[in-house]
Amino acid sequence: MATDSLQQYQDVVFDQGRSPWQDAWYRLKQNKLAIISLNFLAALVVICVLTPWLAPYGYETQNLALGASGPSAAHWLGTDIHGRDLMTRLMYGGRISLMVGFAATAVSLVIGVLWGAIAGYVGGLTDTVLMRIVDILYALPFMIFIILLMVVFGRSLLLLFLAIGLIEWLTMARIVRTQVMNIRNQEFVSAAIVTGLSHWQIISRHIIPNIIGPVIVYITLTIPSVMLLEAFLSFLGLGIQPPQSSWGVLISGGVETMEEYPWLLLFPGLTLSATLFALNFLGDGLRDALDPRATSD
Amino acid sequence: MPNKILLPVLLSILLLVGCDLGPSNIESATAKQILHLGNGTEPKDLDPHTVTGVPEHNIISALFEGLISVDPATLAPQPAVAESWVISNDGKRYTFTLRDNSNWSNGDPVTADDFVWSWQRMLSPALASEYAYQLFTVKNAQAFNHGELKDFSQVGVKAINSKTLVIELENPTPYFLSLLAHYSTFAVHPPTILAFGERDQAGTLWTRPGNLVGNGPFTLDSWRLNYIIRVKKNPHYWDHETVRLNEILFYPIDSALTEERMFRTGVLHATSSTPLDKIASYQTNDPDKISIDPYLGTYYYRLNVTEKPLDDVRVRRALSMSIDRQAITDSITKGGQIPAFTFTPPNTQGYFANNNSIRYDLALAQQLLSEAGFPNGEGFPEIELTYNTSDGHRRIAVAIQQMWKLALNINVRLSNQDWKVYLSRIQALDYSIARAAWIGDYPDPNTFLDMFVTDGGNNQTGWSNSQYDELIASAASEADEKKRYKIFQQAENLLMDESPIIPIYTYTRVLLKHPQLKGWEPNILDIHPYKYVYLEDSTINGGQ
Amino acid sequence: MIRFFLSRLLQAMPVIFIVITATFFLIRSAPGGPFDADKVVSQEVIERLNERYNLDAPIHQQYFDYLSHLIRGDFGPSFRYTNRSVTEMIGAGLPITFELAIYAIMIALIIGISAGMLAAVRPNTAQDYIPMSLAMTGICMPSFLLGPLLVLVFGIWLQWLPVSGWGYSPGDKILPAITLGSTYAAYIARLTRGGMLEVLNQDYIRTAKAKGLSTSKIIFKHALRGGLAPVVAFLGPAIAGLLAGSFVVETIFQIPGLGRFYVQAAFNRDYTMIMGTTILLSCLIVFLNMLSDLLAVWLNPRLTLDAKH
Repeated sequence: MATDSLQQYQDVVFDQGRSPWQDAWYRLKQNKLAIISLNFLAALVVICVLTPWLAPYGYETQNLALGASGPSAAHWLGTDIHGRDLMTRLMYGGRISLMVGFAATAVSLVIGVLWGAIAGYVGGLTDTVLMRIVDILYALPFMIFIILLMVVFGRSLLLLFLAIGLIEWLTMARIVRTQVMNIRNQEFVSAAIVTGLSHWQIISRHIIPNIIGPVIVYITLTIPSVMLLEAFLSFLGLGIQPPQSSWGVLISGGVETMEEYPWLLLFPGLTLSATLFALNFLGDGLRDALDPRATSD
Repeated sequence: MPNKILLPVLLSILLLVGCDLGPSNIESATAKQILHLGNGTEPKDLDPHTVTGVPEHNIISALFEGLISVDPATLAPQPAVAESWVISNDGKRYTFTLRDNSNWSNGDPVTADDFVWSWQRMLSPALASEYAYQLFTVKNAQAFNHGELKDFSQVGVKAINSKTLVIELENPTPYFLSLLAHYSTFAVHPPTILAFGERDQAGTLWTRPGNLVGNGPFTLDSWRLNYIIRVKKNPHYWDHETVRLNEILFYPIDSALTEERMFRTGVLHATSSTPLDKIASYQTNDPDKISIDPYLGTYYYRLNVTEKPLDDVRVRRALSMSIDRQAITDSITKGGQIPAFTFTPPNTQGYFANNNSIRYDLALAQQLLSEAGFPNGEGFPEIELTYNTSDGHRRIAVAIQQMWKLALNINVRLSNQDWKVYLSRIQALDYSIARAAWIGDYPDPNTFLDMFVTDGGNNQTGWSNSQYDELIASAASEADEKKRYKIFQQAENLLMDESPIIPIYTYTRVLLKHPQLKGWEPNILDIHPYKYVYLEDSTINGGQ
Repeated sequence: MIRFFLSRLLQAMPVIFIVITATFFLIRSAPGGPFDADKVVSQEVIERLNERYNLDAPIHQQYFDYLSHLIRGDFGPSFRYTNRSVTEMIGAGLPITFELAIYAIMIALIIGISAGMLAAVRPNTAQDYIPMSLAMTGICMPSFLLGPLLVLVFGIWLQWLPVSGWGYSPGDKILPAITLGSTYAAYIARLTRGGMLEVLNQDYIRTAKAKGLSTSKIIFKHALRGGLAPVVAFLGPAIAGLLAGSFVVETIFQIPGLGRFYVQAAFNRDYTMIMGTTILLSCLIVFLNMLSDLLAVWLNPRLTLDAKH
């Protein structure tokens, strides 16, 4: 996953003959925390891909008589109220959560960045219209929107990505727009226009490198909120259906029984937190590595 | 740096405010006789003739009183506004004598004319009372409510004088007195209604604090939207000497978890619900704070008999027989619920449904499925199990999904729906299997069994059986209890043989209840007349 | 300045009008009506109720009737709470939610900005990692988790603070405000750090550094204004989201605010209440986004209000 996004940045940012990609990679490799995080995430992806072969039990296999039990030799992370193995469900849940987290964030990223960048760069009437559309979408009653989506399309994972992406891109667009406007109005951009650079060259050389920082930060904020939003939508009936699970679903279930069966909250919570920390450190590392003005200190 | 100052400041504020919480509601309650109750959702209104829910019922039963009330332990009818009554030999004519000292909370006497006036209001088409059918056993009431009869004097309710009320029924209705204890048949104060609008106008301001005039043991003191409703002892109530509570506070609380936390920290005396996972720990650690009582309700699944493959009775019976109900009540609901193999709960006013047609029998279930053309589930289409969004329903559905998978090798897809979507789907028969529940309105098998007559409003399975319809009709005109219950048993057998529904368990009422709370008798309708309730510390160190 | 206000005000009209229209038709196309109930309500009763609330009229007629009432400032009666008007219900819930949101925002801004600044001044040191780890923990702890956790620790174990109510007993506002504010504090901390780092690498800051200005002077005089740009862009919708999102916190702490009404109205199909709260929310969003844009300009004088190039 991470390599893919790096590839994207390489294609977008460094379209000249030089190889700043190697520079960035070199700088990233200097950042130990980021590399550990990258490895952690890669391991997580591998585990999730191999889950059907690795998981000790079936995610739907119940043992009602056993019920919720704490960690033991047979069930390392314990079992839930239906007597299902928590570790198995965490592994299967990771497949859904990572997929939803990345896919929905990607949707919101693409729409949000394009929308905000166009509004901020072109300005004038275009800006007004685009941003007022964002205002309208913020104001529509979210719950009714979800209920209608469910009724019209039924339950599907694709719909879930779309619904989440459509909700999450709005703030991204606002942040990108402000950032682009900031840069658009700086002297070096005006100078670049005077020297006759094309819009595309200005965007790729000056604008994009300068908005990468806040965008990466906001991505690391979006991924967890997307994963938790998925749990809420699944609860309402839009997302995954039982007996499937996701990290978000496991956590929101765990909250309800945190006093009785703390492991049902603790282990999913720790898994999600560790993933987010890794994403965060990697994000910071990437930001530093890709920043054309970054100093080597 | 600002945060170097900030943290200590925040902490000290926290300590200052936090250290002395003062006595909790519970700790100061006994001396003041103030009862704090969790009460589900915010009431839609407090007009006895237009509301339908349990939270509304709880508050209205404090503010109003009917002709009859029920004994809190046995649910036997007992005098309330009516001091005594005479029933004619054919069981169709009731003559009530109202007590002299029954008053409205402004001091006006409660008269027989108030009841006639109120029933006309309740039955008037324009008011659109959802519970109007409660009075349809009264002569001509249905015709008046449907607008076919304009003249209310032809409806079977008359005031002979200010204290004598005569009611004529269409059929002898053994449970009629229980209906008179239901809030939809209560009287309202005519001058108050007319001061704020027309007689048949709903949603006027007469139910606000300061406006509302009732005849119950309490009066409405304040109503903070979505927060607290406070009622105070009514000095004009005829039996005010029995009433020991000075105030009751009703809290609308949306979340069972929040309610439990409020109970645990001494905000509430009793809850309206209990989180499933807390039951076990209360039973072990605080057995005196949890009460589990039988309740007149059945949790069941509806099967849509109009669509394949559920149109085949063998498939329906196979599904029903392969559910391990005991495992569900033991491991999931955990509140002492009783596995159900009949629709009517056991001991519904002396009626014990008895049925062998449905039992937990995997071999027979597999055989039935195979006879229906799906040996070992082969060729069985994936069917959808619909339930309204709720954690409890989901847990049960997940367990049953797996039971069917293992026992019959069939695949069931779970689909939870928003409440209103769920309702509209069920009504349109746009489902295959759907979770449902029925709570009896009155303690009689009829409140359960008359649901499944052909085209009954709450049938919603598409099931129709003329023999069943005849049985229910003949029970309605039968006055002898033994014969009636025998007819109901026949109907019950027929229903289970045909299995348009899968009963799963009989409800229990699982409530958290503080030991201070006295005079709160368990009963199958979960009715607790507040006039008998009081607070008393059981031990010297009672309370927390 | 005045031109900016006037033009945004002019833009607000179509925005709010479109929101009203879209919401009106969206909610009526959702299955299930306001009067559907568990025990089936007879057809006659449903018809009478529809008549009472003007739901028997053709839908375009309902729409124009609604608009004409709205222009006169009449939001109509609630369909669920039969003796309440929408105006009354909003009037009861809004001040509470507003107060809660103010506390939460204050907590979020104070903690978020100071933590983000601390981290940005010395990136990749303990002074960066500790506040940022706390922030990440905050993001991993949505209010539906943090609320019950705080209640458990401070309300039930330590018994320092009440677990429910709003102004009922002393101190009952503390836990809800912290619960609602902390997620936003975490967001703001992350955004502040990112924005500050961006600015601290700019040439003019390096010039200032080279001139030998003290760190605190550089930060407060020069860097902070630019570094807060992403925070400000986030803040407008975040405050509006805070008001709507207070539903979770209000439910956990039994607070009689508008958030519970806003969400319950959708589930109850309380059409007029959905419309009322949505209109209110859209006005808020338009207003707050305008403020946020204005603030962005104030923070960065190179921007102009009329974004014409």
